[in-house]
Amino acid sequence: MYKRLRAARRVSQLLFLAAFVLLFALATFPPKTRIPVDLFLRADPLIAMSAMVSLRKLIFPLVWYALPVVVLSLFLGRAFCGWICPMGTTIDLCERLFRIRGRRPSQAPPWSRAKFYVLIALVVTMLLPAAHRSAKEWALTDTVGVSAVYLMDPIALLTRTFTLVGLPVSQWGMGMTRDVVTEWSYATFVGDHPLLDRALAPIQTGLSMVTRDSAVYFRLGLLSFVVFGGVVALGRYARRFWCRNLCPLGALLGVLGKVSPVKLAVSEKCTRCMRCVNECKVGAISEDPHEYSGPECIACYSCAAVCPEKAISVTTGSRDTGRDGQVRLDRRRLLEAVGVGLMAAALPKVGWGARRSQATLKVLKARSAHLIRPPGSLGEDQFVTACVRCGECMKVCPTNALQPAFGEGGLESLGTPILVPRIGYCAQSCTQCGRVCPTGAIEVCSPEEKTHVYLGTASVDRSRCLAWAFGNTCVVCQESCPYQAIHADVDDSGVPRPVVDDWICVGCGMCEHVCPVEPDGAIRVYSTGDRRHWTRDEQRELREQAEQESTGASPYPGL
Amino acid sequence: MDQGSLHGKASMSRGSMTRRDFMQWALGAGLAVSGLSELSGKGSAAEAAAQPTVVVASAKKPAELVRAAVDALGGMGKFVKRGQRVLIKPNIGWARKPEHAATTNPEVVAEVVRLCKAAGAREIKVMDHAVDGPDSLVLKMSGIKGPAEKAGARVIMASSAGLYERVSLRRAKALKSADVLRDLGRADVFINVPIAKVHNATALTLGCKNLMGAVLDRGAWHQSGLDQCIADFVTEFPPDLVILDAVRILLTNGPKGPGRTEDKRLVVAGTDPVAVDAYSASLFGRSAEKIGHLKLAHAMGAGEIDLSRIRVKNV
Repeated sequence: MYKRLRAARRVSQLLFLAAFVLLFALATFPPKTRIPVDLFLRADPLIAMSAMVSLRKLIFPLVWYALPVVVLSLFLGRAFCGWICPMGTTIDLCERLFRIRGRRPSQAPPWSRAKFYVLIALVVTMLLPAAHRSAKEWALTDTVGVSAVYLMDPIALLTRTFTLVGLPVSQWGMGMTRDVVTEWSYATFVGDHPLLDRALAPIQTGLSMVTRDSAVYFRLGLLSFVVFGGVVALGRYARRFWCRNLCPLGALLGVLGKVSPVKLAVSEKCTRCMRCVNECKVGAISEDPHEYSGPECIACYSCAAVCPEKAISVTTGSRDTGRDGQVRLDRRRLLEAVGVGLMAAALPKVGWGARRSQATLKVLKARSAHLIRPPGSLGEDQFVTACVRCGECMKVCPTNALQPAFGEGGLESLGTPILVPRIGYCAQSCTQCGRVCPTGAIEVCSPEEKTHVYLGTASVDRSRCLAWAFGNTCVVCQESCPYQAIHADVDDSGVPRPVVDDWICVGCGMCEHVCPVEPDGAIRVYSTGDRRHWTRDEQRELREQAEQESTGASPYPGL
Repeated sequence: MDQGSLHGKASMSRGSMTRRDFMQWALGAGLAVSGLSELSGKGSAAEAAAQPTVVVASAKKPAELVRAAVDALGGMGKFVKRGQRVLIKPNIGWARKPEHAATTNPEVVAEVVRLCKAAGAREIKVMDHAVDGPDSLVLKMSGIKGPAEKAGARVIMASSAGLYERVSLRRAKALKSADVLRDLGRADVFINVPIAKVHNATALTLGCKNLMGAVLDRGAWHQSGLDQCIADFVTEFPPDLVILDAVRILLTNGPKGPGRTEDKRLVVAGTDPVAVDAYSASLFGRSAEKIGHLKLAHAMGAGEIDLSRIRVKNV
């Protein structure tokens, strides 16, 4: 019977991993489904907790999505880890790559409590305020925490790896195939045989449906790969090393599962053959097979399946079993964990990110010129803390414009999405990044609202512009501008030259993207006009006013 | 790959006179004729024979306009023979809906496809290299994919470099070489199906300017002189047939719009790319002589610009 349960668990693992991959693939624009493609991230209670604690507010969609996993854990302990978690399944699948034959479980490092300290350190970061500031700035924003949960959350980590590594690699493969098939379709041999020609056409059509217009690439892909590879490769030291020793989500679910009524019981038939102890993926069973640790057990039921005496069974209720529900934390380690949390929050402050958010009433000062956030992003403080760096927005962005920040916003915003117009632009009718953001760091905005959701402002470099500097006929920026924020200033000889209307321009980056001047465009978007600290209404009023008035206004209203 | 091999491959696969060979021959003949006419003065028989015809179809539904215009030119069978490959180049450059008149009317494109199919074409490709993106969005908004594919064409957004090949333009003054759609060399018949719009850089965008979507790197054109590059390209790659969509034209904020539009309910067709544009310029009340790239194209012998020398046939 328990062999069947184990088989069911394996099927469940594969199905959930398949669902994870499918949802990832479905994160596209135009959208292909109404299902929230970030379902796994939304259902992650650690992400929900991080967003709500660090933003200091209840976010109800997150509560509802995370509730099923919380309830599951209250009843079945860490069953999520054993049956659902795509990271756990990935680690299981890669296990054989790294396992050392003949190693006994007792040789695994006894670090299983580390994950609780990781969780504590992360909670400390969520509780600490992000910055201290003057009274004038204080009024602008709620005091938010500075969550470092993105560093360790398994679902965010896996989604990020899929985006930053999996997507470019798979697109590269499909793009190469497409190019080869295209090459064949032009071959004389194929051209002379209508049947071959006709057979190739659907392959080409199919490939062009799954392949992006141009190659996809991301900065930080290598770093992401190294982190993911490291997590999987730790399997060399113990099965599910990550899950048993490091995963803060596992720790959280383990704590919730302390009250679980479902337990494993060992009958007198046990011969102490130790097969279950050797089989247990997370080392939850002690030297005496009658006892096991509740917060460690991932409910995979392999122990029951391998028991030759069928001595292990699942029971419910208050019956006394060998389950030890306690999480014993060392006080000294606990203090260390708090210290690590404090440092994780404080260390980024020594970097250039410290001055990132000095907002006065109308203008954001002293930030990187290239820190351009996706449309609908929260204010910088809230954004950095709410973003879990899962990379869904970067996956869904149809133009590859969203890239992980590297230096733009300082250490605190490492890996958060920024718009890099030279790579891609913010497509006018697309608002998918907001729709797939699990924590609401990017709020949903409608395509209509995008006329007044100001990301930045374009600026023409007249010393390099083909029209201004060389008198060439080129106003590609003006032709392409979706919001008609650029007008042509015609010189005496009839050559049109681009001029940006600062208040109409929302900084979508189309102009910079299409500018033929290499390597950087002669028109560039800077974070100058970023008005995330304004309300949508204020921004809309500015836009309406700008349409009534003429051009050439200052990007610094109120100064 | 040079132009020679582009032609060579095309001729190898067919064994008869290629479209390009024919165009070169016809152009040579045309040049000879125009040279003759200059020698012999106005009113010679040779000139009358060379006088380009522009057909203007009006007051019908878009598809009927196309049919009437093509019929007046002698029917699609005159251009497309059984078993030939056809490349249709509409304007699918922007993520705009048909009503914004920034992209070619889908019914016009579909009808051209239908006529080619009826004439027995073996392969009909509808291709454009959009400025806007992503391609899937541009295709969806332009509304061209559905009707054109239903009519029997393959609609391809040409973003991938594999669809282009490097060609040197021998007669060009500015655009010495370009990465051109491979299908331009491979097709037996090349039909240009532009939409008439105002354009901030080139005053108007009609048939000749529409050909800019057949190359990979448009930026180079801006760098080395846009008007001359357009003229170079149309001289080197003249379409066999131009069917210009003026069902609804864009009057302001071209080429992308949205702007003010006007329902002209016209289709202008012809075999002389410059003559079709010269007539179409008059729809905007503009003189083709004042439009840089048309003037240069005429000077290079790509076609007639003088309306008084163009026979206009209204149907």
